[in-house]
Amino acid sequence: MSDATQTELANANPLPVRARVWNRFAGIFWLSPTGAIGLFIILFFALLAIFSAWLIPHDPIAAYTDKVLHPPSAEFWFGTDGNGMDVFSRVIYGAKFGFGIAIPAVILSLVIGIPVGLIAGYRGGLLDEVLMRFVDGLRVFPSIILALAVVAATGQSLLNVILVLGFLDSPVFARVVRAEVLGLRSSNFVESAVAAGNPTWRILFVHLLPNAIQGAMAQTAVRAAWAVRISATLAFLGVGIQAPTPEWGAMIRQGAEYMVSGQWWVALYPGLALILLVFGLNLFGDGLQDLMDPRRRSAK
Amino acid sequence: MTFQRFLLRRALMVIPLMIGVVFITFMLVRIGGLDPVGRLAGPTATQAEFDSIRNNLGLDQPLWKQFSIYLGNVVRGDLGESWLSNRSVLTDIKERAVISLELLFWGVGIGALVGVPVGLRAAFRPNGRFDQFTRVLSLFGFSIPTYWLALVMIFVFFYLLGWSPPAIGRMSLLVTPPDMITGSYLIDGVLTARWDAAQSAASQLILPVICLAIVSAAPIIKQTRAIAIEVLSSDTVRYAHACGLPERNVRKLVLRNSAVPILTYIGTEVTGLVGTMSLIEYVFAWGGLGQYGLNAIISGDFTAVQGYVLVLAVFSVLVFIVIDFVVYLIEPRSELS
Repeated sequence: MSDATQTELANANPLPVRARVWNRFAGIFWLSPTGAIGLFIILFFALLAIFSAWLIPHDPIAAYTDKVLHPPSAEFWFGTDGNGMDVFSRVIYGAKFGFGIAIPAVILSLVIGIPVGLIAGYRGGLLDEVLMRFVDGLRVFPSIILALAVVAATGQSLLNVILVLGFLDSPVFARVVRAEVLGLRSSNFVESAVAAGNPTWRILFVHLLPNAIQGAMAQTAVRAAWAVRISATLAFLGVGIQAPTPEWGAMIRQGAEYMVSGQWWVALYPGLALILLVFGLNLFGDGLQDLMDPRRRSAK
Repeated sequence: MTFQRFLLRRALMVIPLMIGVVFITFMLVRIGGLDPVGRLAGPTATQAEFDSIRNNLGLDQPLWKQFSIYLGNVVRGDLGESWLSNRSVLTDIKERAVISLELLFWGVGIGALVGVPVGLRAAFRPNGRFDQFTRVLSLFGFSIPTYWLALVMIFVFFYLLGWSPPAIGRMSLLVTPPDMITGSYLIDGVLTARWDAAQSAASQLILPVICLAIVSAAPIIKQTRAIAIEVLSSDTVRYAHACGLPERNVRKLVLRNSAVPILTYIGTEVTGLVGTMSLIEYVFAWGGLGQYGLNAIISGDFTAVQGYVLVLAVFSVLVFIVIDFVVYLIEPRSELS
């Protein structure tokens, strides 16, 4: 092949890389409009979390002791809570906790789950059997109760909540990756990689990983939704994150007693924010799974 | 395969799972390294008192020995005594189990009665308006925090509208509970013709049941739809269409063929719902097993937490077995793998 034809071939693709990436990205909107809405909701909360310092009118933990339980007004848009703290500022600030817990927890799950799934699927045998039995055993416990009990037993801190959620959710990714690897294990590219003398770690992480990771990546948004929900539930029960922290679950806990005496704003707004973020993540996750799984797409 | 062989095989498969479950339960409260002795002994305790408490609880033994003792106790049905109240955990759990089961039964029952038909209807016209609507609605149901929904319902129906009684448990304080037969105030009230009690029990039940039904219906809708769509594209259904079977009969066929996976799914969902239900119990001060478990977790009552978590796991395994059995009854050819 001459040099000329090679350069011709290289130039044959009419679209520059950036345009192709953009087209693929835009494809999300066409294929899954609801997923796109979810993405917008997530971005909205991400902006709130990043720019909360400039957006909040009051310090989220400053107590206006003379203005306890004021209903929503021009000064306090969402009213004040039982300590006289501004609910609006606290709700905005709470977005930081949503992302601050979900993102590291999901990353931790991926970091644990993917290698375990790769090794279990590739090696098989006793190791695989034991790991999968353990995962099966974990599945008979309700996840919320398990998370609660472990956080309560291991000590209550934000870091601990993240670690526990990350560990408990890693089987989800291990399972998906393992199933993919089982299907790929005896394919030609793996066999030729073995024949070429690649060490096992290289086969796992260079050859198998890129081919087996799609299913796991499609799960991330839904798992993030789970992490946000569970962490808020823990805070609602007073486990992990404690009261004056402007976390949504903890705020709902504070507002719970006022629901029966008519001060609805204390618990209502953090709940709405929580629903909206989890809803956005679920919508986006649903679209993501459709995109990555052609079988699901054609089924619709 | 005969019924006896089915039972035997199932029991053999459950044993290793149960040992694993007991092990996880056992480790659950020990991984933290939190020491209950200090809490029990109080701040003024001497070293001798510490040692004697440690000895009483068996905490001075090596871990593997503690586990074998625990496993032996569990097999004999002894879940120990609460470290805080000294009451038998098993008795406490037994008293409360029926209370929670009643709530679970109504909640999941109504959730399934609504969810399955809605999911089927969505599947018959995928991407139609009804499907789009219910899809968003069910994702929304996934996203609602249960306890918040419960609080909002209490605010609307108790505080604003005054339709429902205060959320203080299973019966109004002004009504004496009926004589205990089953443990469910509603059923006992009806059985003993105590209509005031039955009515009070029913009105207390409505909000938590609706709450649980909403939370359980959302995933049922989604899963039923997915299952029915798969069945709709199967060869059986295509053949039925090709034979010119009327639409009504085809739908019956779809229902018959999706029954097994839908039932299996609802069975697995119950496991997660038991956790969700505990939050509903917590908000409505229901006094059932879920509230007991949450309180035990929050107050660090390790034996009670162990007992609670173990009973939940056993319950899930039982549900799986019952579902397997029902599947075996309606579809004997399924080889119970």
